[in-house]
Amino acid sequence: MYRWFNGVFLFAFLALAPTVLRAQDREVRGVVSRSDNSEPISDAYVGLVGVAGRFTTRTNGVGRFTITIPAGQQRLAVRAIGLLKKEVPVGPQENDLTIILNPDVFKIEELVVTGQATGTERRAAATSTAIVSGEDITGTPAGSIDRALQGKIAGANIQTNSGAPGGGVQVAIRGSNTITGASDPLIVVDGVIISNASLPTGLFTATRSGAATGTGPFQDDQANRLVDLNPADIASIEILKSAAASSTYGSKAANGVVLITTRRGRSGRTKVNVTQRLGVAELLRGPGTRVFDTTAAFSVFSSLDKDVIRSFEVNGVLPTYDHLKEIAGSKPLSYETLADVSGGNDNTKFFLSGSVKQDNGIIVRTGAGRQTLRTNLDQKIADKLTLNFSNSFSRTVTETGFTNNDNSGAGLTYAIAYIPGFIPLTPVNGVFPQPAITYLGANPLQTEALMINTETVTRYIGGATLRWQALTSSINSLQIVGSAGADFFSQDAQVVAPPDLYWQASRATPGVATQSNGTSRQLNWNINAINDYSPAGNSWRSSTSLGAQYEDRFLSQNRVTASGLIPGQTHIDQAAVLGGQFQNDITERTFAGYAQEELYFFKERLNLNAGLRAERSSVFGNSDKFYLYPKVSARYTFPGLLGNGSEVKLRAAYGQTGNQPLFGQKFTVLRGGVNIGGNVGTTVGAASGSPDIRPERKREVEGGVDATFWHGRGSLQVTVYRNTESDLLLPRTPAPSLGYSQVFLNGGSQRNVGQEVFLGVTPVQSRDFTWIFETSFTRNRNKVLSLPFPGFRPVGAGFGLAFGEFFIEPGKPAQQIIGQTGINPDGTFIVSTIGDAAPDFKWSFGNNLSYKNLTLYALWDWQYGGWAQNQTLSLYDCNQLAPDGNTPEGQARADACLSTGLATPFVQRTTFLKLREVNLGYQLPKKVVKTLFGGAETVRLSLAARNLLIFTNYFGYDPESSNFGQQAIVRNIDLGPYPPSRTFFFNIAVGF
Amino acid sequence: MTTQLGIRARGGIALFFLAALGACGTFDVTNPNQPTLDDLVSNPTKAKLAVAATGIFATSRSDIQAFIWRVGSMGREGINLSGNNQPDYQEPYFGPLASGGSFGATLWAVDFAHIRSVNIYLDAVPVAPDLSAAERSASLGFAKTLKALAFMYVIETRAQNGAPVDVGRAVTGDPPPFVSQDSVYGYILGLLNEAQTNLQAGSGAFPFPVPPGYAGFDTPATFVQFNRALAAKAYVLRGTVGCGAPCFTSALAALTGSFLVADPGQLKLGVYFDFSTAAGDQTNGLSDPLGSPAFFAVPRLLTQAQTQADGTTLDQRALDKVAAATLDPPQQVGGVNIPGTYKFTNFFTGGDADPSAPIPIIRNEELILLRAEANLGLGNNATALADINFIRTSSGHLAPTTLTAGSPKAALVDELLYNRLFSLLWEQGTRWIDARRYNLLGTINVEVDNGHVPTVMPVPADECSARNLPAGCSPLTGG
Repeated sequence: MYRWFNGVFLFAFLALAPTVLRAQDREVRGVVSRSDNSEPISDAYVGLVGVAGRFTTRTNGVGRFTITIPAGQQRLAVRAIGLLKKEVPVGPQENDLTIILNPDVFKIEELVVTGQATGTERRAAATSTAIVSGEDITGTPAGSIDRALQGKIAGANIQTNSGAPGGGVQVAIRGSNTITGASDPLIVVDGVIISNASLPTGLFTATRSGAATGTGPFQDDQANRLVDLNPADIASIEILKSAAASSTYGSKAANGVVLITTRRGRSGRTKVNVTQRLGVAELLRGPGTRVFDTTAAFSVFSSLDKDVIRSFEVNGVLPTYDHLKEIAGSKPLSYETLADVSGGNDNTKFFLSGSVKQDNGIIVRTGAGRQTLRTNLDQKIADKLTLNFSNSFSRTVTETGFTNNDNSGAGLTYAIAYIPGFIPLTPVNGVFPQPAITYLGANPLQTEALMINTETVTRYIGGATLRWQALTSSINSLQIVGSAGADFFSQDAQVVAPPDLYWQASRATPGVATQSNGTSRQLNWNINAINDYSPAGNSWRSSTSLGAQYEDRFLSQNRVTASGLIPGQTHIDQAAVLGGQFQNDITERTFAGYAQEELYFFKERLNLNAGLRAERSSVFGNSDKFYLYPKVSARYTFPGLLGNGSEVKLRAAYGQTGNQPLFGQKFTVLRGGVNIGGNVGTTVGAASGSPDIRPERKREVEGGVDATFWHGRGSLQVTVYRNTESDLLLPRTPAPSLGYSQVFLNGGSQRNVGQEVFLGVTPVQSRDFTWIFETSFTRNRNKVLSLPFPGFRPVGAGFGLAFGEFFIEPGKPAQQIIGQTGINPDGTFIVSTIGDAAPDFKWSFGNNLSYKNLTLYALWDWQYGGWAQNQTLSLYDCNQLAPDGNTPEGQARADACLSTGLATPFVQRTTFLKLREVNLGYQLPKKVVKTLFGGAETVRLSLAARNLLIFTNYFGYDPESSNFGQQAIVRNIDLGPYPPSRTFFFNIAVGF
Repeated sequence: MTTQLGIRARGGIALFFLAALGACGTFDVTNPNQPTLDDLVSNPTKAKLAVAATGIFATSRSDIQAFIWRVGSMGREGINLSGNNQPDYQEPYFGPLASGGSFGATLWAVDFAHIRSVNIYLDAVPVAPDLSAAERSASLGFAKTLKALAFMYVIETRAQNGAPVDVGRAVTGDPPPFVSQDSVYGYILGLLNEAQTNLQAGSGAFPFPVPPGYAGFDTPATFVQFNRALAAKAYVLRGTVGCGAPCFTSALAALTGSFLVADPGQLKLGVYFDFSTAAGDQTNGLSDPLGSPAFFAVPRLLTQAQTQADGTTLDQRALDKVAAATLDPPQQVGGVNIPGTYKFTNFFTGGDADPSAPIPIIRNEELILLRAEANLGLGNNATALADINFIRTSSGHLAPTTLTAGSPKAALVDELLYNRLFSLLWEQGTRWIDARRYNLLGTINVEVDNGHVPTVMPVPADECSARNLPAGCSPLTGG
């Protein structure tokens, strides 16, 4: 496997060693294999310790090598990806070696980036690093890569917006780093900056969510586009958390950077892997149903004729149907087929893969499918010139149904919060009953049977990296590395609410069809020159990099809504009234130059780094101005401090990154399409542009201690950090007499302070039995330090003080939820802070046990604290349908909604403990494989479950739900989401 | 690091770097979604300004419907019983008017957003290279007239609270100072008089299309009559809030330049806001079907209306503008004892609701009443009565008033306001504005238990917070 920066590292290694020639060389052979399964290791590096140069080689496809070394006692260093490196003594007479490498369980020797084209071993990094391998995220299938990362990264809070297959995910790394700016981390795949845009499907045109506030598109449970990547293609994911690490990416890195490296071929025998998965999903949890007796029903539904209520009685008693089970009780089958072929020789290496999957949802007619194809090629063009080429195509079809906030009767989970359990919904002789008590006439089972909310994204991501070893001498080298990549996708989405739906039939023009299209194009290139200099004497060395980067981003969205649909038709041209056209294009260009210096002293024990990025962008008010992003970091390593085979590292880092203004914030627009008397006109837009808008700036100080002990069987990383975001992009309401309703300005500041701990130990590591234990802990505290004007309510903050809403004000956490918590003697409401949406801490525990051919993995994910606006609960309470509605507690909450106006009951703690992943695997013995699967090398069977268990006091669905999608502040609003599910998968993986 | 190799290496890097710098696209990305303001301000042309002028015509009407029903609710002409939004009936009928939210804080920002558009147009016109001097002058006259109209709507609701006039400022700068009601009228009249001069120096035709509501007033030479009509109205309003005789005299002078004509067949002659159902256009939401549960006429209007000569037929204006609602049972909202039994029909076409019905800005009937009011203010009671009786007979089909030039002033004012109410019902917010001008708010029947007729609309809370003042502030008096 050839990592894109491997060459840089290798070169640095080579450059360290003065070239020495000896007369009496000898030849030594050997074989390198893994300790855990005795498999031979191909492509492992073997070199003479201290005297490398020409005394290096690589193992072949069956793990064998031959190396020429000087006579006498020597030491050989052996290393391979994913395994701990080893130094072995070679006696003067020894010429046949058997070398066994241990797995690098805690990835302490993985390569991590230090700059645009430079990297280092993780143990030598001067910043906190987080790495997850491909195996870590594919063991238990997840809908998307970000979902698979839940509970695996210290410092990251990853929430699924809903339980919908293919639904959106939001990631907050080290707290919320902005208030109104972009909140997604930057995603880089094999050096290509890709789009993680979340585009609406247009569902809000059917639900009429956010019609008054313009927040409709955010309420569509938008999928973010990491869902397009096949997790099985991934070799590793590195997450840059601190500003010092992400400074390389300048004004797009304030939310962290996710670097994804895909799998690549290795020289040796061509390998084929085929995996087949079969799965099933079921409802995890949801609101219970209130059981009514006839008297209680009379009292709650007093406006309804008593005879109508009595008519629902079965044998004189009101029945209780579980409407949630009726709409989300499906247990659908899902499948995934994966295949890859990889191999190559010294000059050409390849990795080809394909996948087909379909995850079906617990709501019928919902699901997510994906087909992918990938070609990764590595070609040595000349002795000093290599080319890495990556190429992937995907098609993702997502059907999320009608859920989330609703103002029209469309939402399935919304409607059942209005329909008491005694009202039947199931069709009689094929006809859906019209419920006597419901929301806007809806029968959600009818909606489920007729709704269409389909999004198809086809996507190409490709890139190439050319590496040229321009100059080489014993003390100096120059490498030029250039990368270019492109990411194109097109989105095609249809939302259809047919005219025969009961909640459509009463409209003037029943039946809604919405067609949305999106096109995204991201191009970027970078070019870097790296000069490694290691003077004779071995006392120090340096690595100097200079580079440039350019990025061009274009995103176009169109949407047309039509109503008055012809029955049975779904197209926008088969409707009476065309309206609600929308088109929005954005173009952003960013260019940066950077310089970086890395210095190593005292046999590599001390490392000092400094870098500076200068960046201009078309979205800055002044697009000619370069903004500077410096970084400095240092680390010192104490070898053997905790005994033999241990290492303790102290590190400290400071860096700056930014968050770009959103496209359009610099312009004051003239609103076109204003019509009077048949003439079209323009008028000044409501928001004033800010011609001097600047990027937000993040400054972060980070320090930590990393320790490796028990010869790599134990790893501890402790990090503390403090980041401050200033020049925040804030919406200000100017004096209305100036003619504008809003202007964005830079100002104010906020701060995150946090701690991250990772501990991994291998208490048992024997031939038959291994136990690996990992735990990561994250705690973050956020505070708004200052604002240039009094506090404000962010867009989509909630549904009023009677239900709780977000409010930004100095001295409080940015994600605080305020609301009416009491009543003053004068009758006015007491409005105060109820809670902070950000959790107090997150703590996860993973155990990996293997006994002979059996493996068992379990991941527990614990979130403590955090608050959510549980408006699903308020719906049930306002309708007196909460399962405890007939208890004093239930009545008190109903009163809070219906009469007292208190928000307190509806802002709930989100503490939970989830058994995120369980995976039981069995590797068939070779003999069995040979007899049963002729030609196959390995066969592995496994049974995996995701979200198997959840323990929480939270009412209703999932405490992670977010109605408003991927946003910095306005998370944790739960309002009729797609219910969460637990999924089981049976896998069979065959290797040839 | 000073070896030969190192220097060469760095030279190579530097060259590479420079090559990279040259390979980028432009960073001056323009907004592809809408035209930008910058383009209009820095690079105006006749064509762009024509589109902007259409925009000004379009936004000049953005608040008129809200003005009519909100001010009409405070003056007990009508009521919004749709029940969608409690403040719609709570604030005007029970009070107090809130300085934030959806009633008391309105009839402000929309007008100032329109004024911002006009100011930008006024800045751009003088630098457009392809406009002739006469076209430039005509354009300025048009824009200043409509800007004055917007300020008139603002000060009609804010009165003694004053309003800012120096609003053509940078959005990031200090908020503009409030000036008194009289100063706002002074500013309005300054604008109108400048506009008159501009229009008189204007070209034969405007260099932009004029909407159909301006039919007959769609050239600079005729538009100036509309300008003088507005000036007359501003002078009269100013006259009744302190200026007195000089303003009434000026009003009479302005009326001579207006389109006033004492022709019973020409009462509707005037200038109108256009509406339509075309894409991008605004519709007339006040043209509310008889079966719609939204806007209703206060039933007392029908008992306040006088009768025609037969002693039973009501004032023709009441008959023309009010009809029974067809909702059964009548629309009603909790706590409001005004049933939704009558609807307004003054924006109907051919007896039916018409979302394309125009709404008058100012028309001949109002001009005649303005002339009466100015004369009344100057003590020319007989002349005033002649105009009042002209309206009574021609518009209301009523007998002439029994009042004489010697009747008490209060009675004459009552008679004027009666005619203004029915002539301008549900189109000018006239009852509330007139009652405030003549200190007669106490005479308006509150219509509901524990009701309250507001005295003036408050300064919007956002205006206060921009000045670091608490909600409910009074920037004019510094509080």
